[in-house]
Amino acid sequence: MELYFEDIQVGQEMPTLVAEPINKIQQVMYAGASGDFNALHLDDDFAKALGMQGGVITAGMQVMGKVGQAITDWVPKKYLKKFGVRFSGITKPGNIITVTGKVIDKQASNQLITCEVTAQDETGNVKITGRFEAVLPSKSKNT
Amino acid sequence: MADKSKLGKKYPTIVWEVERGKIRELVRAIGDKNPIYSNREIAEKEGYQDCPASPTFLTIPTMVAGSMATAVLDLQINFAMVLHGEEEYEYYREIYPGDVISGVPTVMSIEEKTSKSGRAMDMVTMEIVYTNQRAEKVAKVRSVIVERK
Repeated sequence: MELYFEDIQVGQEMPTLVAEPINKIQQVMYAGASGDFNALHLDDDFAKALGMQGGVITAGMQVMGKVGQAITDWVPKKYLKKFGVRFSGITKPGNIITVTGKVIDKQASNQLITCEVTAQDETGNVKITGRFEAVLPSKSKNT
Repeated sequence: MADKSKLGKKYPTIVWEVERGKIRELVRAIGDKNPIYSNREIAEKEGYQDCPASPTFLTIPTMVAGSMATAVLDLQINFAMVLHGEEEYEYYREIYPGDVISGVPTVMSIEEKTSKSGRAMDMVTMEIVYTNQRAEKVAKVRSVIVERK
């Protein structure tokens, strides 16, 4: 079903994404896929030596990828114009990431919507805050 | 602290050939099952020319080129105290398999800040504008590296 600019209201919530718990295998896959071989994400002994008590931590970009998934599950990727995040907390294997978002602005002149997004774990600890902008098609115009 | 004389400095151009398998591999690692990234027919039905790169795909050329690590060393930042603070993408065009994209990592700003907990830190902002083989701008990546004191 097509998403139109006219269907979006300021204050409207984006569909929530609840991810599978992050596991270490997935972190290895992410390292291979992204080229980020920082041992902090892969080697428990190394991470512990740097003060991470439970061992490895998750790459921030891996969590951002999950936020990107949540956005493009709702807004088709081709409409996404800008996507930025701030990394505010450490994610670890076992964490269940929930991504939520809300429309904070819409501009009729260019059919642009601006939304805030947040990724947090099962205890409500915030990992990422960010925002994105998308230009949506209009029911009245061909875009 | 970060070497402020490096403001505006440009690092070697990153050149990256976009492979179909790499687009798929990244979304698989993320756990993003959207079929547009792996099924060309579905992607075309959804209005793409081919399977597009996912929103955070441009992390790959940067990581593989090691441009952040190069910058961290060059800026004399203490590697053990580095955090990835922010990441932002502006999208101008889709990136497709077979595209050859290139961009120049540039130091845009070096600022001293104080965290909420009162801790001093340096924030280094790097920017890369990627163009494709037709010299069309495809995206801008802005990364903020934080050095805790």
